[in-house]
Amino acid sequence: MKETYIRMEHISKAYGKNPVLKDLNANLAKGEILGFLGPSGAGKTTTIKILTGQLKPTSGTAYVLGIQVENIDETIYEQIGIVTDSSGIYERMSVYDNLKYFAKILSIEKGEIDQLLERVGLLDQKKQLAGKLSKGQTQRLILARAVLHKPRVLFLDEPTSGLDPATALEIHRLLLELKEEGMAIFLTTHNMEEATKLCDHVALLNDGQIVEYGTPKELCLRYNKEKRYRVLLESGETKELTQSNEDIAKLAQWLKNDEASSVHSCEPTLETVFLKVTGRELQ
Amino acid sequence: MKQIHRNKLLAVMELKWRALCSKNFILMPVFAIGFTFLMKLLYSTLADGGLTEGARAAALNSGVLMNISMTGIYGVCGALAEEKEKHTLRVLMTSSVNGLEFFLGSVIPVMGMLVAVNGILVAVAGAHMSAAQWGVYLLVSLLSAVASTVIGMIFGIFSKSQINASTVTLPAILVFMLIPTLADFSEVLKRISDFLFTGIMQNVITVIVKGEGTPFGITEVLIIVAETVLALVCFLVAYKKNGYDPD
Repeated sequence: MKETYIRMEHISKAYGKNPVLKDLNANLAKGEILGFLGPSGAGKTTTIKILTGQLKPTSGTAYVLGIQVENIDETIYEQIGIVTDSSGIYERMSVYDNLKYFAKILSIEKGEIDQLLERVGLLDQKKQLAGKLSKGQTQRLILARAVLHKPRVLFLDEPTSGLDPATALEIHRLLLELKEEGMAIFLTTHNMEEATKLCDHVALLNDGQIVEYGTPKELCLRYNKEKRYRVLLESGETKELTQSNEDIAKLAQWLKNDEASSVHSCEPTLETVFLKVTGRELQ
Repeated sequence: MKQIHRNKLLAVMELKWRALCSKNFILMPVFAIGFTFLMKLLYSTLADGGLTEGARAAALNSGVLMNISMTGIYGVCGALAEEKEKHTLRVLMTSSVNGLEFFLGSVIPVMGMLVAVNGILVAVAGAHMSAAQWGVYLLVSLLSAVASTVIGMIFGIFSKSQINASTVTLPAILVFMLIPTLADFSEVLKRISDFLFTGIMQNVITVIVKGEGTPFGITEVLIIVAETVLALVCFLVAYKKNGYDPD
């Protein structure tokens, strides 16, 4: 059994009378990626702030690497890495210097900086001012800074938001590598494709509440009650069928007359699951 | 009491030093040096080339007051506000730097710059000091630098951006700079000035440069120490309640 790095127990957070998080329960084990999925304002960033000791929960608690979040002090940051939605880079410094200061703070050998820059594909830009980097390069620099000290847990708040598909793929590749190395990754996103591809477990968050929790496959199967099929006809028309007798008869007829060129089953995606559970779109 | 790690303190100090050397902040000490030079030139022109010790003291005072008040208060406050504006404060504080390391790393470079610039100003003003007088001058410079940088940290807690920092620090800078400057024109201002660390600094400079008796006594030291302690207490209360960023 894998070691649990994060354990959330009935976490709630309210600002005055306004509840932001309601009774969150979830676990993250070593070498796993847990996705917190939800639209903007669902409480994803607040959850990260609580788990990293930047905010106190109103009730409930959580344990990160065995330390209760209320007792977190700065020493925990030697074991965790954080990538937030706001960049926080020193724009007037070079890419290398941005990492150099954090290497000094975290007692990392300077030689490791070049290795890391190579790994995130920024070695050629090491002398470039960080403020002159493209959005994708900036995001890779932020990720490099967050994993510079090889943390056991990595928190990522919308890491590929606004990035082009190629850069997003590059970040995904890096995250999967880090996962393979045993890092536990807590990822918030509203990109369902990303979650399906990367996450071992996902929690669908809506209005501060986890409305569904499980592996992406489990969730999709759970909501695959009304099985649907998509039929492409020789005429070029596409038809969607259910398992009703009428539709089955139609399909049989098309197959018999050689009118159907392909038949596909339509499993729900996480996006459709979210829509079914909450009645709202993610974006 | 939080532990201070040498590597973390040095890293924060280096970051702050780089910020201090950027064009946003370096203009202030440069301005203080330029202003002292201008004042010396002005007094020299008025006195047909012959500068009295009183004129040298006045030129030195104008630069020192500007340096201690502007660079000290705004240098610290503005740098903290910039960290918030660029979101680097959160990154630093979530990279295992503790509050004490950040505090010391923020004020020490500014204090160093204040004392160094005060030293340069003596040469610019053309004032003459014996070794003992240099010692007293640098000691009072250091004490005043501590007081002004701590005041800068208090304002820094409540400043969200550099523009905000310049607005909130302006009244304090005016009080600490203008009251001693105008003290000779009003008895009330003179009395207030005698209770400000910048006013004491000014009195010490005048006595040293003019060579008039003892530069300062125990009362003056106590006033500067009391003001520094008061500023530290105010800082701790504000920090306890808000951290470095109320948001």
